[in-house]
Amino acid sequence: MVSLALSRHMFRDVSYLPCLTKLTVSESNVRCMSAVPGPKPEGPKTEPNSQNTDDRKPLIPDRYRFKYPDLLPLPKMEWRNAIREKLERRDQMARRSQIDIPEFYVGSVLAVYQNNRHAADKKQKFVGICTQRDGYGLRANFVLRNVIDHIGMEIRYLLYDPTIEKIEVLRLEKRLDENLLYLKDAPPEHSTFPLDMEPEFIAEDEPVPINPVQVKLKPKPWRMKWEKWGMKGIAPDSFFPGQLKGKIPLVKPWDEMDLMKQYRQTIPEEEQQEIYAELYTELHQQDASRKRTRRKDSKKKK
Amino acid sequence: MNFLKNVCNSLIKPVLPVNSSHQLNLLSSVQQVRGTKKYVRPLRIRYPMWFLRQNRAKTIENLTKDNKAFIQEVICDKFGLENIEGGTPTCVSLSPLKSDPAVYTEKWRPGTRRVGLIVRKIGVYPMWQKDGTQIATTLFQVADNHVIKYIPPNEFEPVRKRYRVKQREMGAVIVGADSTDPQKFTKEYCGLFDAAGVLPKNKLCRFIVSPEAALQAGTPLYASHFRVGDIVDIRGKTISRGFQGVVRRWGFRGQPKTHGSTKTHNRPGNIGGGGEKARVWPGKKLPGHMGNKWRLLKGQEIVRINTKYNVIYIRGQASPGNVGDLMYMFDTILPLRRRKADEAPPFPTFFPHKLEEALPDDLYIDDMHQFNEPTIQYEPEKVEKKKK
Repeated sequence: MVSLALSRHMFRDVSYLPCLTKLTVSESNVRCMSAVPGPKPEGPKTEPNSQNTDDRKPLIPDRYRFKYPDLLPLPKMEWRNAIREKLERRDQMARRSQIDIPEFYVGSVLAVYQNNRHAADKKQKFVGICTQRDGYGLRANFVLRNVIDHIGMEIRYLLYDPTIEKIEVLRLEKRLDENLLYLKDAPPEHSTFPLDMEPEFIAEDEPVPINPVQVKLKPKPWRMKWEKWGMKGIAPDSFFPGQLKGKIPLVKPWDEMDLMKQYRQTIPEEEQQEIYAELYTELHQQDASRKRTRRKDSKKKK
Repeated sequence: MNFLKNVCNSLIKPVLPVNSSHQLNLLSSVQQVRGTKKYVRPLRIRYPMWFLRQNRAKTIENLTKDNKAFIQEVICDKFGLENIEGGTPTCVSLSPLKSDPAVYTEKWRPGTRRVGLIVRKIGVYPMWQKDGTQIATTLFQVADNHVIKYIPPNEFEPVRKRYRVKQREMGAVIVGADSTDPQKFTKEYCGLFDAAGVLPKNKLCRFIVSPEAALQAGTPLYASHFRVGDIVDIRGKTISRGFQGVVRRWGFRGQPKTHGSTKTHNRPGNIGGGGEKARVWPGKKLPGHMGNKWRLLKGQEIVRINTKYNVIYIRGQASPGNVGDLMYMFDTILPLRRRKADEAPPFPTFFPHKLEEALPDDLYIDDMHQFNEPTIQYEPEKVEKKKK
């Protein structure tokens, strides 16, 4: 009886036991790794598991899940199959051996060089800000947005499309939100980038900077009810006073606490480790060789 | 009636021990049964003669650890060690063929029907052609297939006979998929696999074949049974979607959501005419159960084959069933897309030991882009100068 009463008490007020709360929090951090690169600032970096003292295994850097989110499979249990995922990953790596698919995030500015059979000279270049990243495996894709001749243009590219010749990161940074769909309702200067933009220099091995810019939206009508979505990148003065009052927000803050939901919507950490361990040597070699060529190129330019 | 019951009870008591079932049996012979008659529908599916009761009744056998280990040992001795070949669990069979390997001398002729494969749908992903167009491909893995039995034409009796139509003499090859623990099955069912010498299979299927395409029991079947560029048919059960309305089931347009219409948005509307034919015509499209039906998808092209994992890639994503479902794949029955006389397939099936060099891991059709090839380039068009 005593234990029952205690457990009930614990359920009512978890903060009563400080050690328990600590445990749950740390577990949630480990377990619910988001498969999609979130703009959330990463917490203090913890050292890799001290229990795992197998030195022969390569230690998979923690940033891989943000750097290569497309190498993870779709976390839908009914559609998962180990063999298909393996074959898909092999095809992805085969394509990665042909072109450099760089690290980029929502909010980065990219230039994509594509061979297009409908273009006059069969080549096409587009520069824009990445507003979305979607899909898993060979279906991984991203959307670039730019304003050209006062007209907003958006192009969705498949990451593994073999007609893409080159993907160049002109400005590597993150924004405050997971997607920048609200740029459609923002003034054009927020999504205007010159087509001859030069790549900006960022020292290697530095953390990716987060751009804390907040966009002031144009007056209504909007494509979505932005006041309901709780976007961090929208300036609060975009909404007139009282607009937020009495409205039910579509954001569900309690979802963060729903461990089971998070577990179902993401690939568990152990599986992520397995997947990246399988590809580590190849990815590492590709990275190293590309760094070397980049250095050579930069020396030549000087 | 009460009187009768009492008489019956009094009759039974001295003879038989009190047992409710006995009482009921006697009573039913006396009681009126005219109104309680129930119509029992005949079973639509008749199992073929070679199929036996599969699953064993689960009994609680308090086996010790040692006993369980001993059973595993016996299974290993009989069928070989557990092994994973091409991603599917099976066993290293000690001798795949019990008798001496058969010698196949017959050659393929147009019109002969070969055996098919039992495949598992494992997913869909995009691929690209050499001209840059993106296509969806469906992946099917050959699910550890072995030939279990061959039934010659004089013994083979199809479940559904076509009356008054004289058919060609055809035999049947029974193929099994997915090796499973024999403890799961009945003794009789396990006996089906004695001749083949393989672990009992979870799924059995028979393919009607020409007598020339007969195969020896125990022969393994691989994805290379087909070749890239082949046209195949896929038979499977569609996804069950439950009881659905007319809009979802038959694609009716429904009725307006607004403009004053109430309670009729997804309804079919009028279902019959008046006048002399004041009734609903048979076959009218109405709400009902949708899906869970056998469907045959014809004329599908194989664009790639992975020989290592026994995976067949098919152009398009329209195959029936969900990911993880088993289906049957065989040479197409479409008359215009069948093989020509000069396109002989591996006959009666593909034998890896007959090849001098092993096949490459991946086989593609000619116009398919391989992911390890360089980026697709387009040649600039030649602009003809206008003559002045």
